[in-house]
Amino acid sequence: MVAPGFLLLLVFHYLPVLGNVVAFQDYNPYYGDSALSALIGSPFIGLENFRILFADPAFWDAVVNTLSITAFQLVFFFPLPIALALLLHSVMSKRVKSFVQTVVYLPHFFSWVLVVTFFVQMLGGAGLLSQELRDAGITPPEIMSNPDTFIVLVTAEAVWKDVGWGTIVFLAALSTIDTDLYEASAVDGAGRWRRTWHITLPGLRPVIVLLLILRLGDALTVGFEQFLLQRDAVGRQAAEVLDTYVYHQSIVTADYGLGAAAGLFKAAVGLILILLANRLAHALGESGVYRRS
Amino acid sequence: MTSRRTLLTIAAIAGGGLLTGCGEKSTRGGATQQLDKLSALIPEARDVNLGIPPPDVIGTRPVADGYTRFPASLTDAISEKPGRGGAAIRGITPVWGPAPPAGRNNSYLVAVNDELGVPVEFSVQDGTSYADKIGALLGARDVPDLLCVPQWEVSKLARFGDAVNALFEDLTPHLRGAEVAPYPMLATFPAGAWRNSCWNEKLMAVPNPTDGPFPWVMFYRRDLFTKLGVKPPATIDELYRAGKEITKPRQGVWAFSDVFAMIQMYFKSPGAKDGWRRRPDGTPEFKYETPEFKAAAEFMAKLYREGLVHPDIVASRGADMKQLFQSGKLLITQDGMGAWQPMQAEQQNVTPGFDVQPLPLFPATGGDPLAWGDDEPISYTFLKKGLPKERVEEILRVINWCSAPFGTTEFQLREFGVEGKHHTRTATGPVKTDLGFKEIANQYFFISGRRPVIQPTPQTPKYVPEMLGYSNQTVKYLEKDPWDGLKLEMPARYKSGMTPFQDKFTDLVRGRRPFSDLDAIVKEWRAAGGDEARELMGRALADAGR
Amino acid sequence: MTRVSRPAWQEKPTVAGRAGKGTVLTGVVLAVLVPLWVVLVTSLSSRETITAAGGLVVVPRGVDLSAYEIIFAGGQITRALAVSATVTLLGTAVSLVVTVLAAYGLSRPGSLGHRFLLFYFLMTFLVYPGMVPSYLVVTGLGLKDSLWSLVLPSAVSVFNLVVVRAFFQSLPGELLDSARIDGAGEFRILWRIVLPLSKAVVAVVGLFYAVGYWNVWFSALLYIDDNDKFPIQRVLQSFILAGQAPQTSGVAAGTALPPTLAVKMAVVVVTVVPIALVYPFIQRHFTRGVLVGAVKG
Repeated sequence: MVAPGFLLLLVFHYLPVLGNVVAFQDYNPYYGDSALSALIGSPFIGLENFRILFADPAFWDAVVNTLSITAFQLVFFFPLPIALALLLHSVMSKRVKSFVQTVVYLPHFFSWVLVVTFFVQMLGGAGLLSQELRDAGITPPEIMSNPDTFIVLVTAEAVWKDVGWGTIVFLAALSTIDTDLYEASAVDGAGRWRRTWHITLPGLRPVIVLLLILRLGDALTVGFEQFLLQRDAVGRQAAEVLDTYVYHQSIVTADYGLGAAAGLFKAAVGLILILLANRLAHALGESGVYRRS
Repeated sequence: MTSRRTLLTIAAIAGGGLLTGCGEKSTRGGATQQLDKLSALIPEARDVNLGIPPPDVIGTRPVADGYTRFPASLTDAISEKPGRGGAAIRGITPVWGPAPPAGRNNSYLVAVNDELGVPVEFSVQDGTSYADKIGALLGARDVPDLLCVPQWEVSKLARFGDAVNALFEDLTPHLRGAEVAPYPMLATFPAGAWRNSCWNEKLMAVPNPTDGPFPWVMFYRRDLFTKLGVKPPATIDELYRAGKEITKPRQGVWAFSDVFAMIQMYFKSPGAKDGWRRRPDGTPEFKYETPEFKAAAEFMAKLYREGLVHPDIVASRGADMKQLFQSGKLLITQDGMGAWQPMQAEQQNVTPGFDVQPLPLFPATGGDPLAWGDDEPISYTFLKKGLPKERVEEILRVINWCSAPFGTTEFQLREFGVEGKHHTRTATGPVKTDLGFKEIANQYFFISGRRPVIQPTPQTPKYVPEMLGYSNQTVKYLEKDPWDGLKLEMPARYKSGMTPFQDKFTDLVRGRRPFSDLDAIVKEWRAAGGDEARELMGRALADAGR
Repeated sequence: MTRVSRPAWQEKPTVAGRAGKGTVLTGVVLAVLVPLWVVLVTSLSSRETITAAGGLVVVPRGVDLSAYEIIFAGGQITRALAVSATVTLLGTAVSLVVTVLAAYGLSRPGSLGHRFLLFYFLMTFLVYPGMVPSYLVVTGLGLKDSLWSLVLPSAVSVFNLVVVRAFFQSLPGELLDSARIDGAGEFRILWRIVLPLSKAVVAVVGLFYAVGYWNVWFSALLYIDDNDKFPIQRVLQSFILAGQAPQTSGVAAGTALPPTLAVKMAVVVVTVVPIALVYPFIQRHFTRGVLVGAVKG
């Protein structure tokens, strides 16, 4: 039963994974007369590509951008779905609740092309906001093309797209919290905020920890299409993240060895991060992503 | 990293002076090729007498000649169908904007393919991500029969020489010297364009020759200058004073957009090969290291500091300079020559009296002015390696057909489609219909070339004389390029440093960084590939015996 | 609010609290709906209305369908929609079959090579192939310019697989055991017992896949050269985000007329509408389907 999935991954995932061997080569794609002969014929150079990679300031720009965006989003994005879920949970009217849910889930299903389009049309230089401000005689601020505030912009886009979707898990977890606990606590005289603090949030803790771990393990991924699409508007220095760096190194600069080395670096760091985060979760008494069984 | 790449550069050059791209050496370090040695590879130049009326305005080369009106009757240049009924020819070309319909769904392609006798099937790819697309194609060695590579993408693609050698057909035996005879239209291309189409000492592509050498022109709104009673500036002081006079923030009007490239030209900062020149002692120096560049940067910084540049432009690099210029929010801007005619044609319908003109070039420091420029082709067309001889000939005949010059029926069909369908004939020339705009997207233009001429446009009758007047005046001051005729593949690190260092000087000029940082940035630039590039440029001159 | 039953122990909400809540929720809803509204209205506006508004239109003034006539006229958008619909239907079907089978297989510990297989699937989270090797595999299999190139490489999402597997594991084991004792084969158990109980998760995962296929853009950039096989996102991008031609005079002279704002917005609308139509029907399954997968996975 597993065979079809096994085969698909073998052909379209693991077979190309072998191509990562070029990370240890001075790979010249034009050697010999086929891609395979280029792979076999290119000389192995050990860790030279990694040395070049670590000496490239553009690579560190990409790492720093990626990590700062992850950190920024952990602070300004991560709590928002929790807050929105709590808010929705407290809405009594079923009809209002389901209407709001329907609306806020929708952007999750839009492609990045579409999300970026919406932002350009609303906030861009020729967009709705600028148009209204210009009519009012105010010089509109540059939102879509200002490298200094790019981190806010991409976070805003991510929030717009996924804040509603993010509430699903929390809403589900909220619905599993035993209402008797609230009642007992209310009888003991605990107010609304104290109940939230002492019952609701602890109830959400396993989910929050789990999602945090997943996010940390993915700290070096902040999205690819979103950045590729907006790279020209704000320039390389602000919009280059690890995934786009790998992409440009291998596809545009044709330095495949360097690109593959950066990809392997990313995978290794991701693995370490997720293991660390998981240990942290165990230390906090949560089960984390996997259990030592 | 420095050491390895430098070594490779030196090895590549020392090993015979030229990189004979055998495709086995690493080419991260760059390479050079002497184009004048290549004269034996290129087609013998020969004019075809097609009875096309002579041009109305003659351009001084490399400026193209111009026509002020369409010829009354068109010449049929090629009687024989180029196709021999071969299979469809697959081609990839760029487009900016919506992709046109493909294949049988595009009546323009059907019409031209009928004339060709063999269908060309285009895959039209988004121009902004074109380098990505070609990069993937080249890296996977999966190229179509015909591939258009714009000149500005070539400089982005590393190991391009190796790729050309591995993937594309050597056209030398088909086109060198008198062999070009079956393709008379190709024999009319300028020799410089052909020389630029050589890689690894072989003729590898058909060039699409450029029709103008200037990368930048300073444009101003003549209508608004007249209205304000301001004289078009002819010295750097007048430019500054005009800026002061025009800028009225209360009315939402500023003088300039970012015009740094033009200011550099006024101060005679070097521009050859992106900004190189020779010191008196013969060693190459880059513009960042010159006093001229420093003076230009100081002047530009002054324009920013005193608020003479539109604030939208100051805020970012993405502001829509064209929009602001068209709506009269700024009056002086720099742009490519190609921006002029379409803007004039579009805006004169919106703003009566709209008149955009180029500002004649002047020197800031006395002597003759200096104009940046080159005659590199717009794009190159490559043929897939390993096609049978007959197929190569068939494809070359197709390219030849598509390269028929202005004034021929072939050109008219290629450029404007079918009369009554894609264009309507007016007394002053063909005007494209909606269907024409939708279906014609430079498909055949980008797999061919033509002897360049400046075409008339019915909407802007004065454009051709005005444009050629400016060009012929300016071309006299075209900078002498010490590396003229040498084809340089710059070191990878220097290439990847271009934009970051440009950004640093942008910060400096816009006052986001103190001016005293200039020397430190230059030093940083030298360490980050600048000196490596200088070495390559120096060797190139020495090897060429200059 | 009479139809709402508030538990007796809960205090009556304060006016300020309710007002604050209402404001925030209205704000959130508007943040999503206003852009959609503006895009829809602009796409339905005439050239004059757009010029009068100076760009995007907020207040509708009549309905003008000409933008839609233009985009559907050449057949390009129609074809792209058909391509995307085909890819979505085909892809979702293939993905669901493969995912459900694999998830069921992996949901039964103790079977042959179970640990290895689980590891095999999960490792895909951590090692990814480079773009060029993937490109070589896809073209090497002759999938270039085939719609399968948009389907097969992304047919298995291990994330979705984990969600489905977790759901299967949450089903009562006794049910399956008794079926086995009755001599039912595994395929029969999956088809007759497991799937009927798993409609919610299959619907949700199916929607995930469908949306992924509908939004496919980058694979099309790499693998599809034939302009008639472009999916809708690729066309959308070329209408909206594509830049200006470089200012070489020869190039600019032949450049196509830029699409009008209404046309651009109409393309956006036709891209959104299919999603907006389908997803409310599946939305009610979200909580149940995702909860089990995400929390227990």
